[in-house]
Amino acid sequence: MASGRHPVTKGVVRWIVLIALSAFLLLMLMPFIMVAINSVKTEAEFAQYGPLSLPHGLNFTSLIDFWNRVNFSQVLINSTYISLTVAILGVVLSLLNAFALGLGKIRGRVWILIFFLMANFLPQEALAYPLYYFAKFFHVYDQAIAVILVFMVIQSAFGTYLLSSVFSSFPRELIEAATLDGCSKLGLLQYIVAPLSLPTLSVLFVFFFIWTWNEFFLPLILLPSNANQTVPLALAVNQGQYGMNITAQSASGLLGILPCIIFFLIFQRTLTRGITAGGIK
Amino acid sequence: MKRKTSSIDKGYGIFLIPGIIAFLIIIIFPFMINLGISFTMWRGVRAPVWIGLKNFQTLIQDSVFWLSFKNDLILLVAMTVIPTIVGLVLATFLFDYITNNFGQNVSSFFRAGFYLPQIIPGAVAAIVWEWILQPDWGVVNYVLKGIGLSSWTRDWFGNPSTALLAVMVVLVWVQVGYPVVIFMAALQRIEPELLEAASIDGASWFQKFYYITIHLIRPEILVVILTTSIYTLKIFGQVYVLTRGGPGNATSVPSYYAYKNFFETQQVGYGSAISLAVAAIIIVLTIIFINIQSRQEREESV
Amino acid sequence: MLLKISRLLSIILAGAMLLGLAACGPAATPTQAPAAATSGPAAATQAPAATVAPAQPRTLSLWYYEPPDGALGKAWAAAQTQFQSTHPGVTIKFELHTFEQVQATAQMILNSDSAPDLIEINKGAANAGTFATEGLLTDMTAEATKRGWDKILSPSIQATCLYDPKTGIQGSGNLYGVTDYGEFVMLYYNQDMFDKAGIKVPTTADDLYAAADAFVAKGITPFATAGAEYPAQQIFYMLALSKANRDFVTNYQLLKGIDFHGPEFTYGATELAAWVQKGYISKSAVNMKAQDMQNDFEAGKNPMMMGGSWLFGGLQTAKLPFKWNVELWPGNTISPGSGGNLWAIPAGSKNKDLAYDFIDITLSKPIQTLMGNAGGLPINADTSQITDPQTQQFNKLFTQLVASDGIGYYPDWPVAGYYQDLVSATQELMNGTKTPSAFLDEIAAPYKAALPK
Repeated sequence: MASGRHPVTKGVVRWIVLIALSAFLLLMLMPFIMVAINSVKTEAEFAQYGPLSLPHGLNFTSLIDFWNRVNFSQVLINSTYISLTVAILGVVLSLLNAFALGLGKIRGRVWILIFFLMANFLPQEALAYPLYYFAKFFHVYDQAIAVILVFMVIQSAFGTYLLSSVFSSFPRELIEAATLDGCSKLGLLQYIVAPLSLPTLSVLFVFFFIWTWNEFFLPLILLPSNANQTVPLALAVNQGQYGMNITAQSASGLLGILPCIIFFLIFQRTLTRGITAGGIK
Repeated sequence: MKRKTSSIDKGYGIFLIPGIIAFLIIIIFPFMINLGISFTMWRGVRAPVWIGLKNFQTLIQDSVFWLSFKNDLILLVAMTVIPTIVGLVLATFLFDYITNNFGQNVSSFFRAGFYLPQIIPGAVAAIVWEWILQPDWGVVNYVLKGIGLSSWTRDWFGNPSTALLAVMVVLVWVQVGYPVVIFMAALQRIEPELLEAASIDGASWFQKFYYITIHLIRPEILVVILTTSIYTLKIFGQVYVLTRGGPGNATSVPSYYAYKNFFETQQVGYGSAISLAVAAIIIVLTIIFINIQSRQEREESV
Repeated sequence: MLLKISRLLSIILAGAMLLGLAACGPAATPTQAPAAATSGPAAATQAPAATVAPAQPRTLSLWYYEPPDGALGKAWAAAQTQFQSTHPGVTIKFELHTFEQVQATAQMILNSDSAPDLIEINKGAANAGTFATEGLLTDMTAEATKRGWDKILSPSIQATCLYDPKTGIQGSGNLYGVTDYGEFVMLYYNQDMFDKAGIKVPTTADDLYAAADAFVAKGITPFATAGAEYPAQQIFYMLALSKANRDFVTNYQLLKGIDFHGPEFTYGATELAAWVQKGYISKSAVNMKAQDMQNDFEAGKNPMMMGGSWLFGGLQTAKLPFKWNVELWPGNTISPGSGGNLWAIPAGSKNKDLAYDFIDITLSKPIQTLMGNAGGLPINADTSQITDPQTQQFNKLFTQLVASDGIGYYPDWPVAGYYQDLVSATQELMNGTKTPSAFLDEIAAPYKAALPK
C-alpha cells in the first residue's frame, strides 16, 4: 500500500518514469526508424548524406521498383497463406498434444515431451537434405504444402511444450466436475480446456505466424520457383552477388516488416481482450 | 477415489496420434537419416560412401569446431540470461507500475514496442545494425565522439575482440521482447487476491515479487530459459547475415560451420556430424531441464 | 474508445495493403522488357527471318540472376525479345532469381523436376564443376563445335566453360557451360582528385606507389577496399600476379600444386600487410563489404580503387560528380579476370534445342554489342560500334588483356569453399593478428587438402 506521499510529487515521478521508459523504447526502435527513412530516399541522397539524415521529401521509386521486380503481390499472398495456415494448424496440433501430455497421466510423459521437442534439437541445415528428398518423393517439392507441413510440426514443438507446462497446473476440480457430469474427453477439450486457455493459444497463434513469416532457410530449400516464394526470400533479391543498393534494401525491408507489424497490431488487441476477459476463475 | 482418478486420467493417448505421426515423418525420420549420413562421405547427389566414425574423429580434433562451440556458450549469456532477467523486470514493471498508473493500453503499447524487434526479418535487422555500428559514420561511434569519448570508438564488427560482443548486442535487442510478452501473459494467471493478502501481511514489493510472482510463473520462466538456450545453441541466421562467422572465426558458431560444410564445400557427411554433435548437447540439456521441471510440478501437486 | 480506434486503424491499414495489391500490379516499366511474371515479353518490333513455327506450343523455361538494370540484364532481355520473334510458337517462361539462392540450392534444383531448360550458374569447380561430376549438366562439346562457339570463345575464356567430368576441376575437359561475357579487375581512379592534388595518374608500378605515398602525405587514404568480401583478397592476388607467369597461374588454378612461400605469394602477402602499415588502405576496411568500398569511391573518399568490371555500369549510372576512368593495373601483365557465369542446360531438359538457340542469340554480334554499349564486357562485340568513349576504353582494355593472355582467374577458384577461408585469413592479415608467413600457412592448408592424391 502506498504510504502517504505528497500527491504532486507522486504525479511528477510517474511522468518522469514514463518519459524515461519512452526514451528507452525509442532507442530500441531506432533501427525501424532508420529503415523507414532510408526507403524513401533517392540513391544519390543516401550516397551524399549518409543513412542518418532525414529524407528531403518522399521518393517512392525504390519501393515501387522493388514491388514490381519481385511481384510482391504474389509473394505477400504466399507468405500470408503459409504463415496463417501454419499458425492455425500449429495451434491445433499443440493443443491436442498438450491436452494429452499436460492433463493426462500418460506413462513416459516426460519422454514423449522430449520426443516432441526433438523438432527443436536439430539445426535446420541438418534437415535440409532429408526433407528435400522427402519432398521430391511425395511430389511436393516446390509447393507451399511442403513448407506448411514442416513448420506446422516445428512450431508445435514449442507450443506443445508451453501449453503442457501451463496445463499441468490446470485446476483438477474442473476436470473432475465435468467428467462427473458425463463429459467425454473431446468435450472436455472443446468446451472447457480450449476456451479457458485462449490467452495462451492467442499468444501461440501470434508467435507461430510471425516466426513462420520470417523463416528463410527451409523455404529457400523447398520453394525454388519465383511464383512460390515468401517475403524473406524476395527480400534477398537486393543482396546481389556484387553489392547492394541501400535505399532499395531499405525499401524491401520496409515492405517486409509492414505486414507483420500490421498483423501484430491487429492481434495485439485480441490478445489483450482475451487475456482480460479470460483467465482461469 | 483412486478409481475415479484413473478413469479421468485414461483415454488421452488418442489425442497424441496426429502429433506423433507428423513428427515421425517431418522430424524423426530426417533425424535418423542425418544420423546415417554422418557416417558417410557424401556430396549430396550420388550415393554416399560409408566411412564409419571418421567424421567424428576429425570433428574432435577440429579446432574451428571447438572455437565455434565456445562462441556459442558465450552467446548463451547474451541470448538467455540477459533477456530473461531484463524481460522479467520489464514485464513486471509494465504489468504493475505502468498498468496501475497509466492503464492497460499504455502498457500494451510498450509491450508491442519492445516486441517489435522480434517481428523484423533477420536480414533487415542485421543490415541496420551494421549501419549503426559502422566504424566511420555509424551512430554509436558518432555519439561517442560527440560526447568526447572518442577513445571508446571501435571497429565493432571488424575487430576480433569486439565482433562477438557486437553480435551479442544485436541478439539481445532481438530477443528481449519475447520474454516480455510471455511473462506478461503469465502474470495474468496470478490471482490478485494472493498479492493483496501478502501486502496486508506487510510484505514488501521485493518479497512479493520473489516469493509469489516468480514462484507462480515458474513454468513460463523455465520455458523461456530452455527455449532461448536451445535457440542459442542452434543459432545460424543472424551470424550468417551479420558477420559470416568472421573476422577470422571470431563469431563462428556450430550451425554456421555445419552450413558451410553442407552448402559451400558440399561435405554433407561432415556437416551432418557437426549437426549431430550440436543436437546431442541440446538433447542432454533438455532432458535435464525437463526433469527438473517435472519434479517441481510433482512437488506442486502434492 | 482508444482500443476501437487503434483496431480500426490497423484494419484499414491492412485493407489498404490488400488494395495496394490490385493497384501496384506487375506493370512492366519501360526499362525491363520481360516483367518478373511468368508470361513472355512484349511483342517484337520487327520480323527477321522467322523459323517455321512448330506444330504444338512449346515453352523455354529460363532462369538467371543478373539484375535487369545491369548490362547483362539488358542484353539478355533483348535476347529474349529476339528469341520470341524467331520462335513464334514458343513461350518463354522467365524467372529472375538471386545469386544467394543459386549459390546454396543450385544442386538441389538441378536434381529435380523444377529445373528450367536453361539456367545461369556460377562458374568454378565448387559449382559448375561439382554439378558436372554429378551428371546434372548437359555436355555441350559437340554442339559448340557444330555452332561455331569454340571460335567465339577464346582459350582463356573457355577455361570457365570446361570441366573434367570425373574431378570437376575447371579448365579442361568437356564443355558444360557457355559464357557470353567476361570480367576483369582493374584500377579505377578519380581524375579530379589526382588533378587537385597535383599527382600524375599512374601508368607504371613505380608511379602507383609514388602516387599512393603522395596521397598519404596529404592525409588521404589512396585505396578503397573491403576486407569482408572479395576485394582485399584480390589485392593480395593482383600483387602476387605481378611477380607471376602463366605457368604459375595454370599450376595454381588446375590444382597442380605451387609453393605458397614462393616469391609470388610471399610478395602478395607482405605487400598487402605493408599497404595497411603505410596507410595505403584504411584499417577500418577490414569489415567493410564491397558495396561500402564502392560507396567510399563514389563519395570521393579515396582516389583509387581496385575494382571489378562488374562495378563499371553502376558507376556510370550513378553519374558521379567527378571525372573518373579506368586502366589496367599498373605493373601487371596478368590481372584477375575470367569468362563470366555460365549458361548451362540441366541434363533432364526436354527443350535442349531451344536452349541452344537462345545461347546462340546471346553470343550474336548485335546482342553482344548492345551489352558493350550498356557497360558490360562482351566477348564478341564490334567495339567500333560502342559509342561512349569511356565504355569503349573499358572494352578495349579487356580485349587487350585477353589478347595478351593476361587473364589470371581468381584466388578462390581452385578449392570449393576457399572464398570464405581467404576472406577470414585476409582479415587477420589486415588486422595484424597474423604475420604474412602465418597467413600463407593458413591459406595453404585447404589447398593442400584438396590436391588430388
